[in-house]
Amino acid sequence: MNKKKKKLTLSRKRSITGFLFILPWLIGFIWFYARSLFLSIEFSLSNLTVNPGGGYTLEFVGLDNFLYAFRAHATYKQVLTTSIGNMLIDVPLITFFSLFMALLLNKKFRGRTLVRAIFFLPVILNSEAITAAMNLVRTMMSGGISSASAEMAEAAAGTGVGLTYYIEMFSNLGLPDSIITYIAGAVDRISDIINASGVQIIIFIAALQSIPESMYEVAKIEGSTAYETFWKVTFPLVMPHIVTNVVYTVVDSFTQSEVVELAYDTAFTEMNYGLSSVFSLVSTVVTCLILVIVCRFIQKRTFYYN
Amino acid sequence: MEKKRRRLFRRKPRKLNRSMAGNGIMFFIMFICGIFMALPLVMIINNALKPLDELFQFPPKIFVRNPTLENFTDLFVLMNNSWVPFSRYILNTIIITGGGMVGHVICASLAAYPLAKHNFPGKNLLFSMVVLSMMFSWTVTQIPQYIIISWLHINNTYAALVLPAFSFGMGLYLMKQFMEQLPDALMESARLDGASEWRIFWTIVMPNVKPAWLTLAIFQFQQMWGNTGGLFLRSEELKPLQYSLQQITAGGTARAGAAAAVTFIIAAVPITFFLICQSSVLETMTTSGMKD
Repeated sequence: MNKKKKKLTLSRKRSITGFLFILPWLIGFIWFYARSLFLSIEFSLSNLTVNPGGGYTLEFVGLDNFLYAFRAHATYKQVLTTSIGNMLIDVPLITFFSLFMALLLNKKFRGRTLVRAIFFLPVILNSEAITAAMNLVRTMMSGGISSASAEMAEAAAGTGVGLTYYIEMFSNLGLPDSIITYIAGAVDRISDIINASGVQIIIFIAALQSIPESMYEVAKIEGSTAYETFWKVTFPLVMPHIVTNVVYTVVDSFTQSEVVELAYDTAFTEMNYGLSSVFSLVSTVVTCLILVIVCRFIQKRTFYYN
Repeated sequence: MEKKRRRLFRRKPRKLNRSMAGNGIMFFIMFICGIFMALPLVMIINNALKPLDELFQFPPKIFVRNPTLENFTDLFVLMNNSWVPFSRYILNTIIITGGGMVGHVICASLAAYPLAKHNFPGKNLLFSMVVLSMMFSWTVTQIPQYIIISWLHINNTYAALVLPAFSFGMGLYLMKQFMEQLPDALMESARLDGASEWRIFWTIVMPNVKPAWLTLAIFQFQQMWGNTGGLFLRSEELKPLQYSLQQITAGGTARAGAAAAVTFIIAAVPITFFLICQSSVLETMTTSGMKD
């Protein structure tokens, strides 16, 4: 937009129109989300007691909850670091896996809608009711022998060429430990990664769909190979959505992480709302920092069409 | 000259072969991954068709031997015995899922357009608030949310589930990312032709980002469909379908067959919705509308 050329009144008018467009969303956002964010901050700074007749009273205690979380709480620090570690393993893998899958699923072949649906399945099956029903069916199938079969499965996993065998082999080859741990962690989480990339694949497919056909036509006429076309046309144009997907993946893996579980337990089993708010606030800030760093890093290399 | 030309032509099929081999490998990888992902669905379908004795069989078999619709008839009997007529649950689900989805897609797209294509004060602040809000897990903020809902006096109404869905951060973020990619010149030409912003939005921006908002619709449908009403709906006659189905599965081993049928229904609806949306994504041949 060439704002400078126009008069102030017009640009102001335009910004008012823009604001009107945002308004319905913004009202809902402030009502439902911004307020609960601030309430959480308030909770984290105080000691909350539920009144017997209903309602609650807040007693301001300053940073006590924060200090408790970091100095005295038994597991919080450890849970936080493992959650962040898992996230750092997952995010690049999920992003590249889903980009790769989206490229394949974007090709024209028979029954591709069905194949796409299959790859979207984990997202659909990730609902509470389905998990409950599936668990029921599973317990029925295994019946009373379930514990025995679990032991058997464990025993089977311990024998033969296992993951540990490969890890030892690679460490004998002299690969640095950090790389081996990363790969081992990744192999360990393959099914998690596949399961967590449903939405990302869909976002990438939509991104690939919005690349103009003419771009590929030009590339073809200029005689570029499929490999060149990918790096010179597809990748730069999909780049902004890599940021989208990284953000989504971080959010998704974070909201399902152990930290959130811990915070939830603290709130609803231990009834310590203040501490629970601290847990979630600290983790939110940490993930935001990670996100800012990652996005800066990617955005510098991002190509925008305009 | 003639020879040279021929060589040029001969080159083409060789490249085609190479990419075909590559495709073969890729499809193989995709096939393996696909099997793992499809397995739960195969299980669900087969379980729904298994008679009771096969369900309890150990070791379990994936495929059904004597398919019956017994489980579904069991389920319908259970449904007819429910205290609230079953159609009521279905109506509730349609209102909650449909309302939440349509409202969210419209609100998020409307808000994303100026964020992506206009300049106004406070834009960046607003956007960082959105990203921050996505980071906040809603399982943890259930208490503040409950306080807000009851403060607005929409507790125990559809609005308690539908209205918050309108302003979910993810949709705005997704739509903004897609709209940013639209060429500015497209909107400028419409503006020069005298179209209002409202008109530009509906006739130019939205059709061009159809893949994006269909994706968002799928996403939101899934979110709303999985909603059981939870804290906010207390009256039985307002509860969605998911809740009642969950109650049926909570009956334990005695209702094993019905539970298998329930799982099938819960999974089948979003998959169908997904298939419909995806096939219309395919139909959009996205052209940027630009001639340069």
